[in-house]
Amino acid sequence: MLAITNLVTQFASIKALDSISFQAKPGLITTVIGANGAGKSTLLRTISGLERPSSGSITWFDEELTHKSVEAIVRSGISQVPEGHAVISQLSVAENIELGGLFRKRIARGDLTIATKEVYELFPILFERRNEPAGSLSGGERQMLAISRALVSRPKLLLLDEPSLGLAPLIAAQIISIINELCRSTGLTVLLVEQNANTALAVADHGILLALGKVVADLPAKEMAADSSLRAAYLGY
Amino acid sequence: MTPFLTAFFSGTAQGAIYALVSLGLVLVWRSAGVVNFAQMGQAMFTTYIASQLIQNNYSYWSAFLIALISGAALGALVDLGLMRPLTSRKNSQLLNSQSMRTTIPVIASLGILGVLKALAGIFWAGEERGFPSPVAPNAIKIGDTSLAITGFDLFVIGTVFLTLVLTTIFFTKTGMGLAMRASALNPEVTRLSGIKVGSVRTLGWAISGIASSLAGLLVTPRTNLSPNTLDLLLIIGFTAAVVGGLSSLAGSVLGGFILGYVISFVNVYSAPENVFIAILAFLLLALFLRPQGILGSKEVRSV
Ligand SMILES: Nc1ncnc2c1ncn2[C@@H]1O[C@H](COP(=O)(O)OP(=O)(O)O)[C@@H](O)[C@H]1O
Ligand SMILES: [Mg+2]
Repeated sequence: MLAITNLVTQFASIKALDSISFQAKPGLITTVIGANGAGKSTLLRTISGLERPSSGSITWFDEELTHKSVEAIVRSGISQVPEGHAVISQLSVAENIELGGLFRKRIARGDLTIATKEVYELFPILFERRNEPAGSLSGGERQMLAISRALVSRPKLLLLDEPSLGLAPLIAAQIISIINELCRSTGLTVLLVEQNANTALAVADHGILLALGKVVADLPAKEMAADSSLRAAYLGY
Repeated sequence: MTPFLTAFFSGTAQGAIYALVSLGLVLVWRSAGVVNFAQMGQAMFTTYIASQLIQNNYSYWSAFLIALISGAALGALVDLGLMRPLTSRKNSQLLNSQSMRTTIPVIASLGILGVLKALAGIFWAGEERGFPSPVAPNAIKIGDTSLAITGFDLFVIGTVFLTLVLTTIFFTKTGMGLAMRASALNPEVTRLSGIKVGSVRTLGWAISGIASSLAGLLVTPRTNLSPNTLDLLLIIGFTAAVVGGLSSLAGSVLGGFILGYVISFVNVYSAPENVFIAILAFLLLALFLRPQGILGSKEVRSV
């Protein structure tokens, strides 16, 4: 279980996360929704160690993550697909995927080969284009590549920052449904950040609504989806 | 021998050295994203170490090897002692703009250059001395005509090609090489892939330190060794790196040879005092015609 307790992350005087607490249950999809600037990316970046919290704690089962380095957090099984289809465009598709598994090349070479084969089966288009630079991919393909890079590390917790952002609705739906299937078939724990509440709540088990760095609702996804007053107040539609 | 062949052979020999300097610059650029102006200072310092060892009756080759190891250590030290603390999280106030993040390490590298020159002054009184070559510097002869190229030149050219081949294999065929390219291109995504970007960078500085040290050992048999003799080499090597495309190892070596020919042909057909103008003109022309470098890729330059 991922447990966030009284977490504060600030940039100069702005508290991007203002003492937030919630939990994400293992094997389920928890979605964090909120308007632009609510603090969603800051939350994921703090969990991954890219931003340092000024107080509060982050634990994954019995493991305290709060002061670990970014690399150590990844090595404990927590991978992030950052905002904006983050792939390295000058490297080839295959190299981007290889990068994700590089840190365990020596300890688990056999499994790495299997994991690589699995992501190519999940996204056959990436296999077709494996020798092309990642920069030549379409937005949707880049997102698939970013997800693949994270998956070959065999994460137990996958953090996704707005995977549907900027994608055509059909592609976005396809990506969200692949994430859903992954979670259901492998027991992967997912923390899915989305601005698009409908898409996210449709697949999630649980919803966290963030507004200006605070948790304003923490509900089962079905209830959150049904509560139109919450949406009207915080998401503006 | 015709002036043309003289210029060609001497250009090849000089170009090999420029190629090595350029390669060292590109190695740090590709692994740490820093233009290292201290590089020839590192080369000068490690060559003094070799020279000192030879004076103390070490064999040439053991001094050569120790100089290369010192080069690696000095490169790693520059990163661990200065670059890493400077760019650490504690300085995030200072480093909050991209221009500061790229400028500060460059200024720091100029500082290191100054420090290394001062240290050479303290330890070796800044004296100019000769440095031996491992291969007799006799001109190679075909029949009765002696070519404007020596056995030592061939040794230099061979060493440069070997270095290029080894570094290229390292960068393109090994996991560590991939980690190094990724670290320079996108440190955040690389860290999010579980790679210790800091250590990878230090290794890049160390490898570049070896290349620089090698350049010092190979050029000083011609130029002699003093704290300032290698300064010109940095300018030429830097031009070669830019001409070749800062991102490409092979391009940087090609750039080095091209500069060798430009300089040598200007020397033979024009006058030595025009060399600098020729280098500048060539740099401008190259930037104008192929801003991404001869073998550089477009994306890298635009990032
Ligand atoms: N590196 C930063 N420096 C300063 N302020 C930041 C930084 N990153 C985010 N913020 C601020 O923190 C708040 C939350 O941002 P963010 O987490 O990106 O929101 P979201 O992902 O929900 O759109 C915003 O007010 C934003 O301006
Ligand atoms: Mg965001």
